[in-house]
Amino acid sequence: MSSAVAEPSTQAAPAGSPEAPKSGGLSTKAKVLIGIGVYLGIAILLLLIFGNDGKNEAFKPQNEFKLEEWIGIHLGPIDLSINKAVLYLFIASGLTIWAMTWIAKRMQQKPNRVQTAVEVAYDMTKNTIVGPSLDKNMAKRWFPFIATVFFWIWFSNMIGFLPLPTNTEHTFSVFGLEIPSFAIYAATANLSIPLVLTLVVWISYHVEGIRAKGLVKYLASWLPPGLEDMNPIAKAFIFAIEAISHFARLISLSVRLFANILAGHLLLLFMGGGLAVLLGIAALGALTFPLAFFFFILEVGLIATLQAFIFATLTAIYLGGATSASH
Amino acid sequence: MLELGHISTAALSLAAESGKEEGGSFLVSPGIGLMIWTLILFGFTMWVLSKLAFPKIQEALDRRAKTIAESIEAAERQRKESDELLSEYRARLAEAREQADDIMARARKAAETAEAEATVSGREKREELVEAAKRDIEAETRRSLDQIRQEVADLTVLATEKVTRKSLNPDDQKRLVEEALAEVDFSALSGKGSQN
Repeated sequence: MSSAVAEPSTQAAPAGSPEAPKSGGLSTKAKVLIGIGVYLGIAILLLLIFGNDGKNEAFKPQNEFKLEEWIGIHLGPIDLSINKAVLYLFIASGLTIWAMTWIAKRMQQKPNRVQTAVEVAYDMTKNTIVGPSLDKNMAKRWFPFIATVFFWIWFSNMIGFLPLPTNTEHTFSVFGLEIPSFAIYAATANLSIPLVLTLVVWISYHVEGIRAKGLVKYLASWLPPGLEDMNPIAKAFIFAIEAISHFARLISLSVRLFANILAGHLLLLFMGGGLAVLLGIAALGALTFPLAFFFFILEVGLIATLQAFIFATLTAIYLGGATSASH
Repeated sequence: MLELGHISTAALSLAAESGKEEGGSFLVSPGIGLMIWTLILFGFTMWVLSKLAFPKIQEALDRRAKTIAESIEAAERQRKESDELLSEYRARLAEAREQADDIMARARKAAETAEAEATVSGREKREELVEAAKRDIEAETRRSLDQIRQEVADLTVLATEKVTRKSLNPDDQKRLVEEALAEVDFSALSGKGSQN
């Protein structure tokens, strides 16, 4: 292994370089240790140069998620003002509609890469998310909703990692024009959005359950099977626990998505320099900055898709559970 | 992990501080307006996708699945036909080989027969030619003997005239010559004398 790693560096070294054989002779372990040493050395050097400025009270990282009113729309007590989150909702909706209809209009018998990716996602929504949880009729009725949940959340999450000029708190001047600073933000990092989707799911699955079984039978189906001979008080207790668990779904489904995306963005913010600014230790930035890349790849490559998948899958499971013959 | 814990704690405390400042944390307080916007935009997206995107994608996937199924069926059918054709060709080939062998055998037999016939015919023809040549030789010999005989007769007459100084009439000449010739043995000239 070490020789295999050493070989390319030997080849990469310029011909006749006196350091080439020395470099080629280093083991992987030594290279890793040198790398860590250099990494820490730079941080210590920066700490010695810039020192500690003390805690920065002026910097408020949470303000990155603050919604400033851009266009005020007030209908009585309801604030429908256009802000950053509404813009992201528009972008997510527009992008979802544009991408899906664009692909749908250009469906070829021999698909290209983009079409293949969309087909894989569509097939996954149909056969992995909806198929196993819902019967044929329910799947037909609820597939558009669940598929939209998946694609819409996915696009919302993904555009959350594109830096867009949305930070109106800080601006920069281009030919006299005050342009908002580029920032990353995700609509799903705001609790309102996952919560309203969760409410739709929550109400829908109860309505479907009542429609399929009738109110009493549906409520009775909340009790796990095998409790027929249990005394009524114990049954009521278990029913109360089940009822609480149904209400807990409101929190778990919405907060899971919201907290994951918010935490991801906070991590990127802190690792990308926020922590160094906040604590006034510039050297910390050198340490955390490489981690920002790692978290960015993790968020874009896994979390964004995973959270959309989990939300859609749980939606299908809740709907299927409410309408299936046995709970 | 410890670092992440610190960060999370810092974030939450910051959120809480901010919340205190603004009468409730904006990070965790849902807004009705944003929820309505979400419902409108999500609903519109779902409506458009269910009308324009999903049916077309499904249709295209169904069409492709059908095409693939048909292609597989066609391929199986063609394979079956190919197998049938192959077995038929093999049977025909075997038949053709048998026919070829038969033709070869017959040709060989015919060639042998023709050779035998040609040999017999050649022999007969050769014998006929030999016979004809013999006949010609005999006829020629006979004609030559007659000519010699005539020549000898004429010479004899001439010699007799010289000896006797007397001319003989044709009848005497003929008689004398025939008498003389009767005494001469020509069998040696014709070859028969030596054979006999």
